[in-house]
Amino acid sequence: MTRTIEINPVTRIEGHAKVHIEVADDGKVEAAYMHVLEYRGFEKIVEGMQVELMPTLTSRICGTCPHAHHLVSSKTLDRVFSVQPPRAAVMLRELLNCGSYLHSHGVHFFALAGPDLLLGLDAPAAKRNIMGLLEAAPELATKALRLRSIGQKIAEIVGGRGTHPITCVAGGMSSPITAEQHNTLKRLTTEALELTKVALAAGKDALAKNEALLNILPLPVYNMGTVKDGNLDLFDGAIRVQRSDGAVALEFDAADYAKHIFEEALPYSYSKQVFVKDPGGEPAAYRVGPLARINCADAIDTPLANAELQEFKSKWGKPCKLTVLNHLARLIEMMYVAEKAVALVADDEIASPEVRTQPTAKPRSAIAHVEAPRGVLIHDYTVDGDGIVQKANFIVATQQNISSINASVKAAARQFWGKPDDELLNGIEFAIRCYDPCLSCSTHQIGRMPLDVTITRSGRVERRVSRS
Amino acid sequence: MSKVPVSFEWLSGCSGCELSVVDMHEKLLRILDAVEIVRLPILADVKDYPKATLGIITGGLRTEHDVHCAHEMRKSCDLILAFGICAVYGGPQGSGYAHTLRELEDAAYRKNPTTVTNLVPDQGVPKLLEEGVRPIDSEISVDMYLPGCPPHPYYVFEALSAVVGGREPEFGNENVCFRCDRKMSHSDVATLRRVHEGPMDRQTCFLSQGILCMGSASLDRCLAPCPTRGAPCTGCAGPSENVILEPNRDIRTEIADRMSRMTKIPRNDIMREIELRSKTYYAYAMASPVFRQKPTFLLRKWIQPEGGAR
Repeated sequence: MTRTIEINPVTRIEGHAKVHIEVADDGKVEAAYMHVLEYRGFEKIVEGMQVELMPTLTSRICGTCPHAHHLVSSKTLDRVFSVQPPRAAVMLRELLNCGSYLHSHGVHFFALAGPDLLLGLDAPAAKRNIMGLLEAAPELATKALRLRSIGQKIAEIVGGRGTHPITCVAGGMSSPITAEQHNTLKRLTTEALELTKVALAAGKDALAKNEALLNILPLPVYNMGTVKDGNLDLFDGAIRVQRSDGAVALEFDAADYAKHIFEEALPYSYSKQVFVKDPGGEPAAYRVGPLARINCADAIDTPLANAELQEFKSKWGKPCKLTVLNHLARLIEMMYVAEKAVALVADDEIASPEVRTQPTAKPRSAIAHVEAPRGVLIHDYTVDGDGIVQKANFIVATQQNISSINASVKAAARQFWGKPDDELLNGIEFAIRCYDPCLSCSTHQIGRMPLDVTITRSGRVERRVSRS
Repeated sequence: MSKVPVSFEWLSGCSGCELSVVDMHEKLLRILDAVEIVRLPILADVKDYPKATLGIITGGLRTEHDVHCAHEMRKSCDLILAFGICAVYGGPQGSGYAHTLRELEDAAYRKNPTTVTNLVPDQGVPKLLEEGVRPIDSEISVDMYLPGCPPHPYYVFEALSAVVGGREPEFGNENVCFRCDRKMSHSDVATLRRVHEGPMDRQTCFLSQGILCMGSASLDRCLAPCPTRGAPCTGCAGPSENVILEPNRDIRTEIADRMSRMTKIPRNDIMREIELRSKTYYAYAMASPVFRQKPTFLLRKWIQPEGGAR
């Protein structure tokens, strides 16, 4: 005999989902999983379109990390047209990626997950949000919002628009930045770096006060993240797969992704789950995103973030298995991209008018990847001789985390079982939010995440829990 | 002055519209002084439908659950604002109109190159609408429309200030060219070319250069960032007022007329190119009756293999 709980909708995540929990007679949680309720169908939509227009169209898969889709799509186009962008264009794209991280991680830490950590899981539901945070810690919240704003302003200057940028094209950028914009970027990136120091200190402080929360969701799984010469790289490099014991299982170029990973559809969710083939063993579930990247990287090539990374590794292990520390990893990455952004704009070449190499080669099918804020993002375009898309495949970050999210949901359900409904609900949502799941992305295929927990016993719905 | 209660709902979309609200940056605080947000699933833990004066819906109707949510919003709100291209016209996922649901499912679940299973989710997930994505006004009455992908924060601020202040917004229905500083000129260009083919002049209208740009047939809710920064308009805020209101005007006739007058490219070549690639040129609004009800809109036929699209 089992009973089921459903949380609907899961709030403070980017998308729509509900949760299902099956409980046995002895009260033990037997199974738990998240239904992703949305499906959009982009693989098919892009068929028959001109490949050179993919960067603007595919950014629409996600409004939170459109920059990542825009960037990976333009990187794929470089391969489609066998063209190498000028150095200034690569710098601008990397800067766009830095802005994207400050914005996306900023939204998540302070507006979505931050209220849990900074206000506490037992704070009243009506206050446990960014508005509550603005009341409780106005100075910190204002700085946090400013940091996110800066990220998006950087993205707007470089990308032409904040949400759904437009300047990345085959062979580079469609337009350079002006001297005035260059000066603005210098000012914004310097301010951002100072703010990431404040954010990281506040985040560490909040996590230290929630020591009990840190250990509740350990998950020994594989990690996947991009490295260049072993260093963390959020824009380009090899995709490294690390076993749960810390050993490197393999490194591969995105072009070979189909040899190394595969997807499985689930009957109860529009998001598929993804596994990696370990050459030395069985197919394995893996995580992507901030914690996975921090685990995969040996070092960071900027001084402040590297010091934080090394402290993190010595304190939390190699690899760190504590799901909640995704939040700390996210803050370390924000510091890294701020340092990186300062360095990029300090080099005057970034304002060079030479930002595009004219494509001349005949188009061919190609694949590329980038580290989106939530993890490895792969675009794969099959094109004909005229550069018309015949087929497309997208491996997005959140779908690669789905199996781990489900494992963490189960762990949280066990942890918070027997607590009052509101605490149970938020405990489960807290686990989900560690992954900062973006369900618009993971369901680029067709469909939606507000939380509804259904509790079933013997397949019969015993009760539903949602907030009202 | 008492605050105006505002309720948000998010249907099939990408969250970009919500971020466009946040991207009012410092001006957001001025809006927040005047409104009380009673529901906003992406940011706060309220899960039912409280009464509100203004209901803002982003995203289109993809599933039966979306339809249910749209009706809940209509019942609980005095005014409904369709916010963003998906709510107003169906958005990019509305391009599924070109295909059957079966074809969309095949591409993701049954015949996908890296997917090893052969099943389509059907347990505990809302049923997808067989007919594809629909704009929200196909199901509920809508009081105001703000298209855009997303609408630029400039328009978001003016629209919300106006609604909260009980006045008309101070912006018109100009097309994207209105904000574009490129110069239109007659040219001897005789063939169409694509954006990656050959260098482009940064000051001259794309149409004069033989490059298709949707600006003259698209509504400005963006401040024209694309042509300003070197990329042709893709029409992401939907059709211009001309195309919406005139039964005999369409994106392809508007552009073909204008472009064939400015260049030596025959009008029919332009018409045919737009038809061949109609999935691209109608990508954001093809799910809307604005196009489907035009007797000359034959997208499903245009993209058939014998039509030459694939």
